Amino acid sequence: MSSHPFRIEMAARHSHLYEYHRVYGKLVEFSGFEMPVWFEGIIPEHNAVRQSVGIFDTSHMGRVLVTGKDAELLLDSLITNDLSKTEPMEGLYTVMCNERGGIKDDLIVYRLADEKFFTVPNASNREKDHNWIAGHAKGYEVETRDISDDVAMMAIQGPKAEEVLQKITSADLAEVKRFRCVETTIGGYNALAARTGYTGEDGFEVFLWDTPLSQPAKALEVWNRILLAGKEYRIKPCGLGPRDSLRLEAGLSLYGNDIDEETNPYEARISFVVKLKKKRSFIGKEALEKVNREGVKRLRAGMRMVDKGIPRHGYEIWKNGQVVGTVTSGGLSPVLGAGIAMGYVPPEFSQLGTELEIKVRERLLKAITVKFHPFI
Amino acid sequence: MSEEYSIPEGLYYTEEHEWIKVLEDGRVLVGITDYAQKSLHEVVYIEAPSEGDKLKQGEVFGAVESVKAVSDIYAPLSGTVEEVNEELIDSPELINSDPYGKGWIVKIASKTLEDELGGLMGPDQYREHIESLKE
Repeated sequence: MSSHPFRIEMAARHSHLYEYHRVYGKLVEFSGFEMPVWFEGIIPEHNAVRQSVGIFDTSHMGRVLVTGKDAELLLDSLITNDLSKTEPMEGLYTVMCNERGGIKDDLIVYRLADEKFFTVPNASNREKDHNWIAGHAKGYEVETRDISDDVAMMAIQGPKAEEVLQKITSADLAEVKRFRCVETTIGGYNALAARTGYTGEDGFEVFLWDTPLSQPAKALEVWNRILLAGKEYRIKPCGLGPRDSLRLEAGLSLYGNDIDEETNPYEARISFVVKLKKKRSFIGKEALEKVNREGVKRLRAGMRMVDKGIPRHGYEIWKNGQVVGTVTSGGLSPVLGAGIAMGYVPPEFSQLGTELEIKVRERLLKAITVKFHPFI
Repeated sequence: MSEEYSIPEGLYYTEEHEWIKVLEDGRVLVGITDYAQKSLHEVVYIEAPSEGDKLKQGEVFGAVESVKAVSDIYAPLSGTVEEVNEELIDSPELINSDPYGKGWIVKIASKTLEDELGGLMGPDQYREHIESLKE
């Protein structure tokens, strides 16, 4: 007789493309979702994107629609970047901060129309961001809707991404410049195509409208059609593993690793998203003005291993016999053939060419600060 | 099903997924099993001991690193490291492609071979062991 009469399992969530991943991918848990970490291997998938084209399922991310007369006002009061400067069909990379100037999330906000904004929060912050926006909506004429489960999202990235996607897209993608988007059809279905990405390569992030999680056939069909369209370019389906190694090589932050509620955009070296002089005030403005005046106590730096070894999240950074910082993201760069890392160090050690050591398990291995936006 | 993992006859195995091959001259070769290399996937780096290092059974003596994970390797026997597989420095992926052949990691000379071998598993026992891990 079993000692557990019944077992309640917290089932991990699935994306629209689970049926494909279940068969072809190596599944892991990420932000409550069962997602593929690879299909063939991290290194071949990474190289496919750098050299040709790869496709990612990014449906685990969030999709929140903010509409109404005061949509721009509300969002502009929550983000650090200047939404009033965006044109229709333009996306804006920004952060939202708490009162201390710490980052609640980094995200892209697309202006689809004067009163219609489409935001894409990180998977780990889906509910947090929606609640943050909706929670501040009192007194604003605005509607906030989390449509994540009704919209599938994929990314096609690499030098051949446009050519591949163009085969099944009605709009002229060559007309869509970086950070711009277009309403079009992909595989005959209504979709938004945005020239954005998280890999450091050219590419698109596409959103398939009206694709409920409960009826994912449309998403699977488009995914497979893109794989077919990319066959001549040896397209590879890519998992979360290469997604991470690609963004690391590109020097892009991962929320929860490199940026969090205790990190401000100045330390994170993304001050370009902070527009202190913009017309509207925003949450965290006073705190960020103070940082801007007084300076930062630490800075995100990029490091490359000199000794052979792979730096990883949480490893200590040493200088002159003591701990001076921590690795926030690290791994192997397939392009460089060496370990690379991002971490926070005192500003004086962030200068290029500074010799540091990273503690890899029990050994202090030599590393050096390098340019990291991108590393390659 | 453990049928998908290769577990050759004639070798000894540990719970920590190392294999041991007793050579004709009484030395032993040590590596990690097919189960271990499949779990790690793309091996990119080996942390190995040096020739002459003394090992104690059960102690960590190195590590195998893949893109996403690091796995400690435990000395299956006590003894002295006679040779380290230098091919793994330039081609760590041999551990994935040929875990029982070209992917060998160290050669050990052990004075306590007879005593300690008795505590290791044979192929059938190891098969049962990995099957139990899947529950």
